[in-house]
Amino acid sequence: MRKIIHIDMDAFFASVEQRDFPELRGKPVAVGGGGPRGVVAAASYEARAYGVHSAMPGSLAKRKCPHLIFAKTRFEVYESVSRQIREIFLSYTDLVEPLSLDEAYLDVTENKFGLASATQIAKEIKQRILEETKLTASAGVSYNKFLAKVASALQKPDGLTVVRPEKAEALVETLPIEKFYGIGSVTAARMHALGIHTGLDLKQRSLAELSKHFGKSGLYYYEIARAHDDRQVNPNRIRKSVGAERTYAEDLTTAEEMDERLKPLADEIAEYLLEKNNAGRTVTIKIKYADFTMNTRSKTFLSGIQSAELLWQLAKELLRTPFVPQLPVRLLGISVSNLLSEEEARFGHQLAFPF
Amino acid sequence: MKFIVSSSALLKQLQSINGVVANNPVVPILENFLFDVTDGLLTITASDLETSMITEIPVEAKENGRIAAPARILLDTLKNLPDQPVTFTIDEETYTIEISSSNGRYKLSGENATDFPKVPQVRGGNAIEIPSNALARAINKTIFAVSTDELRPAMTGIFVQLNEGNITFVATDGHRLLRYRRNDVSTGESTSIIVPRKAFNLLKATLPAEPTSVKVEFNNANAFFSFDNIRMICRLIDERFPDYENVIPKLNPNKLLIDRYDLLSSVKRISIYSNKTTHQVRLKITGSELVISAEDLDFSNEASERLSCQYEGEDMEIGFNAKFLIEMLNNIDADEVNLELSTPNRAGLLMPAGTDENEDILMLVMPVMLNNYV
Repeated sequence: MRKIIHIDMDAFFASVEQRDFPELRGKPVAVGGGGPRGVVAAASYEARAYGVHSAMPGSLAKRKCPHLIFAKTRFEVYESVSRQIREIFLSYTDLVEPLSLDEAYLDVTENKFGLASATQIAKEIKQRILEETKLTASAGVSYNKFLAKVASALQKPDGLTVVRPEKAEALVETLPIEKFYGIGSVTAARMHALGIHTGLDLKQRSLAELSKHFGKSGLYYYEIARAHDDRQVNPNRIRKSVGAERTYAEDLTTAEEMDERLKPLADEIAEYLLEKNNAGRTVTIKIKYADFTMNTRSKTFLSGIQSAELLWQLAKELLRTPFVPQLPVRLLGISVSNLLSEEEARFGHQLAFPF
Repeated sequence: MKFIVSSSALLKQLQSINGVVANNPVVPILENFLFDVTDGLLTITASDLETSMITEIPVEAKENGRIAAPARILLDTLKNLPDQPVTFTIDEETYTIEISSSNGRYKLSGENATDFPKVPQVRGGNAIEIPSNALARAINKTIFAVSTDELRPAMTGIFVQLNEGNITFVATDGHRLLRYRRNDVSTGESTSIIVPRKAFNLLKATLPAEPTSVKVEFNNANAFFSFDNIRMICRLIDERFPDYENVIPKLNPNKLLIDRYDLLSSVKRISIYSNKTTHQVRLKITGSELVISAEDLDFSNEASERLSCQYEGEDMEIGFNAKFLIEMLNNIDADEVNLELSTPNRAGLLMPAGTDENEDILMLVMPVMLNNYV
């Protein structure tokens, strides 16, 4: 059994602002969202009491809390604090998987101090974060990523929650499904429509039923309802490519059929890229034939590809380069690699004209 | 059919249009030159479907005829022959070509001339005349910025804009933009076309050194260039060129005047130490001092130099791709350049200080957002 810690900084951007500007302390503060169409990037606990939360339009936040103070975002400061806390994590283990600037998973099963208690490590980390950054964090400790993440949210701010194996299933059963990591508001609404409101409701549904409604995610929901999660803490979580593929119940034989099947793959990838505000320069298609032989065809472009339409068109061109598959096809896949934000993360970013 | 021609004269004509012949053309017949002998005049055509070039040379011939002759082997043969009259004997039934010289005989197999694609005609279009040296200069000043991004076809050519009293050539790859304008060419009505890079590259290589007048005719689909005994027809890029005027800053308040050669050689040296992917260099301007620096964290390389300059504006720091700066500075003839900047995330303007009254050169380059390694 592994020992996983999830650390989440408390109201991170807002706390940094309150730390650096004492006049903001104890007051409702929203970071970002001050402009005419701005959106709140983070809200202090005082602001949250009025129902202000991140991703809320600044105008709405102001209505909910008329004396709300809007602070300008200072990403370079948040990034530098983020580096500080990452250094602290890395002094305990190399298995650190940052989820964003202010949260990360740590696998401390084996740690650099040979400490047996993950709870002890979590305490120390919180203490050091407070000493070195004057900010508080909440920690969740458990035996998998899902439970650690759920746990860190249970007591905030400045909390430390441990979920032991024997308590795990009972905890998950009582949890409202909106609190599950990986279930967003859209999925939660769909679950409510199906009569699923708590972990227990979720657990009573069969895998077949969940898969029917939620596709591949169905299996994940089925597993987490049982407090199962065997995802590893991955310290190199920079995505190298985005891809999708399908095996078809019946082999495809005509170019038209294949074109048609490529479209949903392109749509799926484009949706992800758009969401991550990313684009890739290389398009690859994968073809597996009825006899299980496989080949890939790819092409690299100078500019990044993000739109579903373009990706579909390029995939169709690759399907014909050098010629449309002559054997029946059982699987098609598309992937986009050479992702730009990965290049940009390492190097300075060449700007382009806005046309 | 039989004709006699000087080997070096024929070679010269073939070489002037050979650039069109692609290495691995879509249609194999395009590996050939089309030979057409009519009333003692040999017309030679080379084509890649997009662009075709045609040249003519008088020959001694008693009859008329046509053949497609393989370009590579023919050129290699002529290149290696001492200058002399050579006789071509063509069998239009078997498509065999036999060349006889004083050195010996060479037999090669051609192809049916009727398989060679027809070259389009430009009908009902516009026509202008432009001096060859002005056209060559316009192409040279812009072509290096043309995009190779096939996802943005409009930018893979040079945008030629005709206005009353001037002609403008614009090229951009999305990161830099070159605008070359001449005020001494009369154009008639206002219109614009996008000429593919390959066509202009070929034209540039073929335009004679001594000034001659180039006639340009065009319609929506094709442009037709003719000068001396050479004609070029190219398919135009049928796309909308980006609205480039909008990205040219109207007011860049920070103005730097500096010796072009000093800046160029400094950027060249500093770029050796820049990151090999981004080629980013930092320009830091304080008072009348410009510090150019670069670092490559992957190899722990870094370098910096100080240059003096004339500067009006606020102190600032901005990053650029050194390759872009070098190419642009290399393409300016003036001794001094003006670099006009506003903020580190907006386009910089580079212009020669003091220009020829007949031309106007404007270069625009987008910066690199620097990562600050705190």
